[in-house]
Amino acid sequence: MILSGMKIQEKVFSKEITIDPFFPSQINPNSYNFRLGKTLKVYDDEILDPKKDNKTRLIEIPSEGYLLEPTKLYLGHTEEIMGSNLYVPIIRGRSSIGRIGLFIHITADLIDIGSINQWTLQMHCVQPLRVYSGMLIGQVTFWTVEGEIKLYNGKYQGSRGPMSSQIHQDF
Amino acid sequence: MILTGEEIKKQVALNRIHILPFIKNNINPNSYNYCLAPELLEIIDNPIDPKSEQQFRKIQIPEEGYVLQPGHLYLGSTMEEIGSDFYVTSLIGRSSVGRLGIFVQITADLGHLGAKHRWTLELKVVQPVICYPGMKIGQVSFWSVKGEAKQLYQGKYAEYSSAHRSEIHRELSLTTNEITQ
Repeated sequence: MILSGMKIQEKVFSKEITIDPFFPSQINPNSYNFRLGKTLKVYDDEILDPKKDNKTRLIEIPSEGYLLEPTKLYLGHTEEIMGSNLYVPIIRGRSSIGRIGLFIHITADLIDIGSINQWTLQMHCVQPLRVYSGMLIGQVTFWTVEGEIKLYNGKYQGSRGPMSSQIHQDF
Repeated sequence: MILTGEEIKKQVALNRIHILPFIKNNINPNSYNYCLAPELLEIIDNPIDPKSEQQFRKIQIPEEGYVLQPGHLYLGSTMEEIGSDFYVTSLIGRSSVGRLGIFVQITADLGHLGAKHRWTLELKVVQPVICYPGMKIGQVSFWSVKGEAKQLYQGKYAEYSSAHRSEIHRELSLTTNEITQ
């Protein structure tokens, strides 16, 4: 089952869900709107190789915004630290963001239970598009679970800011 | 409700979830990681017309990897047979793969109850990326259902065990009446 907005707020107050900072005005009927943090990361190499620790460079989004190009992948991050040890979060864009052609994850909407972090956003635009730090970019939903819970303790735990792929650790 | 990794393990042992081969290490807190099979199909029609059968080029991914190019659509498949008569599957990518700009499905993550096969992946990349045969490329989650399953999936993709093209042209050759019957 998906939690309603009022339930998300109740669980934030009882500390079963972490959303920090939390603003009641960002609650939707069945999700919470989150903001884009101020840093983006892009890969230096043209061809990405999952077996390598691909080199990246940081971009601070200036106050006048930063122009994304359709040919490039950008890693962003949520301004909020979010997560739960009891509910599974799923992230997606807001419809207002989808309507301007911005993907905020690349087929990886499911967050592990116990991953309480600034989550990395995988950003890709259909047409050139300007993004601004702090804009309400996506929404998170929370889902009840069935079965024994073993919390996430993986390679992205403790993430602050955008974190590049650590998939080379798999090989 | 979404099943936890521990519950997926339990249901696999009870044969209520089918994952073959099943490797315990590929369990996540609330999903299971699946691997990329070594054969890809690259669609070569331009433009694509859903009323006709698409033409494909077969690609065998070599051990040293194959570079996926932006602007192309590749169909891949899971190495594993995955499915359940009791839980609904949702097949998506892993965040480690999304962070490299690889889409593994194109807005069609939902599996049908009863479909147990190697799933076709719809691969597209933002920047050129190398893919390797057998790499852990995505994750599948399992969801409990409310209500009786009217009938388990016996649709047009049920019998396939490797990447399979869209069969939408078969639908478009029928009248609206035939489809709803």
